[in-house]
Amino acid sequence: MAELQADFATAGPADAAAPAARLWRRVEQTALGAGSIVLLLLLWQFLPDLVPMKAGTKLFFTVPSEIAGTLWQMFATGSIWAPLGVSAAAFAVGLGLAILAGLPLGILLGRSNTLNAMLDPIITAFNATPRLVFLPLLMLWFGLGLWSKVAIVFLGALFPLLINTYEGVRNADKLLINVVRSFGAGEWDIARLVVVPNALPFIIVGLRLAIGRAVLGVVVAEFFGAQDGLGVVMVRAASEFKVDVVFSGLIVFAALSLVMTGLVKLLEDRMSRWRPQRESGD
Amino acid sequence: MAREATVRPSPMWRYRNILLGGLAVVLFFAAWQAIFLFVPFNPLFISKPSLIFWGFVDLVQSGELLDDLTVSAVPFFLGLGAAVVVGVPLGIVMGWRVRVGYALDPLMTIFYASPLVALAPLLVIFFGVGLPGKTIIVFSLAVFPFIFNACAGVRAVDRRLIDVVRSLGGGEWALYRKVLLPSVLPYVVAAARIAIGRALIGVLVGEFFAASEGIGFAISRYGDLFAIDKMFACILTVMVIAVVLTEGIRFAERSAFPWRAGQ
Repeated sequence: MAELQADFATAGPADAAAPAARLWRRVEQTALGAGSIVLLLLLWQFLPDLVPMKAGTKLFFTVPSEIAGTLWQMFATGSIWAPLGVSAAAFAVGLGLAILAGLPLGILLGRSNTLNAMLDPIITAFNATPRLVFLPLLMLWFGLGLWSKVAIVFLGALFPLLINTYEGVRNADKLLINVVRSFGAGEWDIARLVVVPNALPFIIVGLRLAIGRAVLGVVVAEFFGAQDGLGVVMVRAASEFKVDVVFSGLIVFAALSLVMTGLVKLLEDRMSRWRPQRESGD
Repeated sequence: MAREATVRPSPMWRYRNILLGGLAVVLFFAAWQAIFLFVPFNPLFISKPSLIFWGFVDLVQSGELLDDLTVSAVPFFLGLGAAVVVGVPLGIVMGWRVRVGYALDPLMTIFYASPLVALAPLLVIFFGVGLPGKTIIVFSLAVFPFIFNACAGVRAVDRRLIDVVRSLGGGEWALYRKVLLPSVLPYVVAAARIAIGRALIGVLVGEFFAASEGIGFAISRYGDLFAIDKMFACILTVMVIAVVLTEGIRFAERSAFPWRAGQ
């Protein structure tokens, strides 16, 4: 109702206001979205001036300008690269292994009913459980170095990849498979020619989920069982009340996750460009 | 009857998947147990199912397991409850009032995309390692699925229903109550499935950090003590709970909203 009235009000009486109203309508979404973020940052920045705080609370408090300064410092002095490199290595190795294991396994499960029925309960159990629960165990097995982190990242990223690949394979057009088969193709050719190309959009969605899980895995693993890495820097900073450093680390992790997800999105757009709009239903 | 006969009513076939799944689980544990006959693993690092079972029995009989689970369950449910109470209305308003959606969508996306667990050390410092700290960690992780799903649910509402309520003289409040909330419900239940996993992460993070009780604390303490059988018993308990919760919701979804099955 209110929307409707607002529209009448802007479009109605004065023609002179029309261009401005039209301009506003075009930028409204961006303006409101950015505006709320800016508003929140400003509120946060000036909160210490608005609300009287005890000295003890001030110790735990930081403002955006301080965080930005710290972040700038970390990059300017280069102190961020060493821990970031350690974290990135765990991320890359774990995610790579998850892709290497998840895609073939997902295709296999999608093509074999028996295997799928057998592994389904185990996969469901692992997927429902937060992988974090295995961290103490993995620390016992792999120590505090790279490999316990890799293991956690691997476990986190494996299941979205595996399950989405499986769904994609299941979604493959039976007719196409039968055509290829009747021209004498074996299981390998079916996978190469029909199943994998068909499953690609699903796999990419899985990859996007997996990236989020992998970043999460790195963060948590470094919080509890590591000696180097950005997560370790953050925990140390938190225990020394350097709140600005904690937030800087969070921003770096978030940026990493957003950039990687954005890249995958680009890949997705690039690869689905040729794909005709499919009718729903088989 | 005659038609059923043509579609192969073999019970073996119908229960085939369940049988195969059960068989695989049994095989898995049997292989785990059997491998110790051939490979002399260091019992400090890995346990076998029989020992884990006795460890589990031990934990149950001493009441430790139940105590730890109770301690962890309280922040889990409080945080999850708060996430529903805050997230669903916020999501509905974001989906229904277009401008509120414009304003909050990017902000929420940023929060959802960033690994918020990374703030756990700060939250622990702010609120302590007790109930408030854990509840807030759980809440901050679990609220976003509810917001986004409720929002998506509102945007998928049948326009005609809204028009009907309006033309029968229903106001804004009637719309919320009669149309929006019921149509959002399936989406909220789906969100709960996602949120449960995140809430479990929240509880575990809170307890790994510096708690003195709770199931997460038990796991890391038994790890430190090299009491691997008890550690495995706790881990398997968490796994069973996670599966029961998520599959229970999935089952509830299928029986309550069968038209949405598979989404």
